[in-house]
Amino acid sequence: MSAHLLQPAFVDPVLDAQRGFRAALKALAEPGLIQHLPSAPRLDGLAPATYALCLALLDVDTPLWLAPSFDTPLIRANLAFHCGCPLTDKREDAVFALLGEQDLLDLGGFDHGNDRYPDQSCTLLVQLTDLEAGRGLLWRGPGIQAQRRVHVPVPQAFWHERQRREAFPRGLDVLFAAGHHLIGLPRSSRIAEEHA
Amino acid sequence: MNDLTQAPVRDPAYNFAYLDEQTKRMIRRALLKAVAIPGYQVPFGGREMPLPYGWGTGGMQLTAAILGADDVLKVIDQGADDTTNAVSIRRFFARTAGVATTEATPEATVIQTRHRIPETPLQAGQVMVYQVPIPEPLRFIEPSETETRTMHALNDYGVMHVKLYEDIATFGHIATSYAYPVMVDERYVMDPSPIPKFDNPKLDMSPALMLFGAGREKRLYAVPPYTQVTSLDFEDHPFEVQQWEHNCAICGSHESFLDELILDDAGTQSFVCSDTWYCAQRVKENNQ
Repeated sequence: MSAHLLQPAFVDPVLDAQRGFRAALKALAEPGLIQHLPSAPRLDGLAPATYALCLALLDVDTPLWLAPSFDTPLIRANLAFHCGCPLTDKREDAVFALLGEQDLLDLGGFDHGNDRYPDQSCTLLVQLTDLEAGRGLLWRGPGIQAQRRVHVPVPQAFWHERQRREAFPRGLDVLFAAGHHLIGLPRSSRIAEEHA
Repeated sequence: MNDLTQAPVRDPAYNFAYLDEQTKRMIRRALLKAVAIPGYQVPFGGREMPLPYGWGTGGMQLTAAILGADDVLKVIDQGADDTTNAVSIRRFFARTAGVATTEATPEATVIQTRHRIPETPLQAGQVMVYQVPIPEPLRFIEPSETETRTMHALNDYGVMHVKLYEDIATFGHIATSYAYPVMVDERYVMDPSPIPKFDNPKLDMSPALMLFGAGREKRLYAVPPYTQVTSLDFEDHPFEVQQWEHNCAICGSHESFLDELILDDAGTQSFVCSDTWYCAQRVKENNQ
C-alpha cells in the first residue's frame, strides 16, 4: 500500500484552501502580477505554490493529467489521498493538467472548450523554477491597466504555440507556479514582443 | 444598528461561511473561468440557501466561496447598509464565518451589493459581489437559452441594438434606466445586474474585481479590474446617465444617485442619497 508515502497537506484545510483560491483568483484577474502563498505545504517534486493550487482546486470532479516528470508514486498517492482527483492519461479528458517547462512546447490535445461553453476548457498548472528570470514581454488585456512587463521564463515556442491555438473565447488558462509564488495567464491576455 | 468592525464569534455548528468545501471548490473553479472570459456567463451548481431566491442567494454563494477569515464584509441593498436584506446577509456571514463587517466603503475588502455601486470610488484589491436576478441580457428579447447561448457564441448582438433603437423610435430616447446592457472587453454583452445606468460608468476600468452571481438561474460571471466596459449606444444617441434638478435633502449632494420620497397625500417630493454611508459621511464632514 501507499500509506508510507502519505504526507501532511494543509494545516487548516478550510482557510488554507481559501487562501490558495484567492491567490489564483487574483492571479487570473490581474495577469502578470506575482501572487504570494506563504503558508503552502511542501511535497517532493511539487513546489509549495503548485501543491497549494492542487489542494485548493482539485477534487473528485476534476480529472487531472500529469506530465511524466510529475508522475511519481509519491505525488500520485498524495493527490489521490488529499484531493481524490481521478488521474487521466488522455489530455482531452483533463480538467486540470500539471506541466513542467519542458511540456510547454506542445499543448495539443487539451480541451479548449467550445464557443457555446468556453469555460469547459482545461486549466494548466505549470511549475517553473522561477517567475522573473525570463525575457520581458508586454502583456495587455483585462486586468491590466495599460500594459505590464512580465518576465516568465518559458520557451519562446510556448508563445507561438499559444498564439497558434488562440481562438477567443476558446482557450487555455495557465497558472505559473514557482516556490511560494504564482502568476496567472488567462486566455484573455494579449502578449506582445517588447520593442527596445 | 452599527456593528462596526468588531469581529463577531463564529458559530461552529456551520462550516466556515456556511457552504461545504466541495461546493466552494466548484464555485471557485467556475469563478476562475469567469475571470478568464470577462462577461461570459459560467453555469454553476447553485445550492439551496437558507433564504428564498430573489434575496441574494447567488451573491451569497459567491461571497461564501471567496470569503476568508481576514476579510471585512460590507453588504448594501439599493445603496443602503441598514435595510432588512443587507442587515440579514451581513449577520449571516458574521455568524457563519466570524468575519468583521463594516458600513464604511473604503474599509471593506468584499462588498456584496444589491443593485448599486457605492458612490465612494472603489480601490484596488476590493471585490464587489453583485446579486443578479436574470443574468442573460438577451432574455427579454429571446426566451430560449439555446438561442441566446448561440448568439453569445457567434458574437451576434444585432437584436440588442434593435431593442435600443425601438426605444428611440417609441420614446425619442433610450428608455432603459437600469440593468442597462454593457459590452465587456469588446466581446461579450453583459447584464450589469439591475444597477441604475447612473452606475454603469463606474464599471469601466474599475480597480476593483467585479463578480456577479445569479442563484435561481445558476450562472456567475465576472469583470476583472481595469477592463473596458462600454454601455451600448448609438453615435447620434450617446449613452447618458440620469441627472437631478434636486439636491439630497439630508447631505445636499448633487453628485450622488437620489431616491425619490413621497412625503404626504398631496404628493410632496423629497430626494435623498441612495448610498446611506456616503450620505452619513457627508453630513459628518459638513458638521465639522
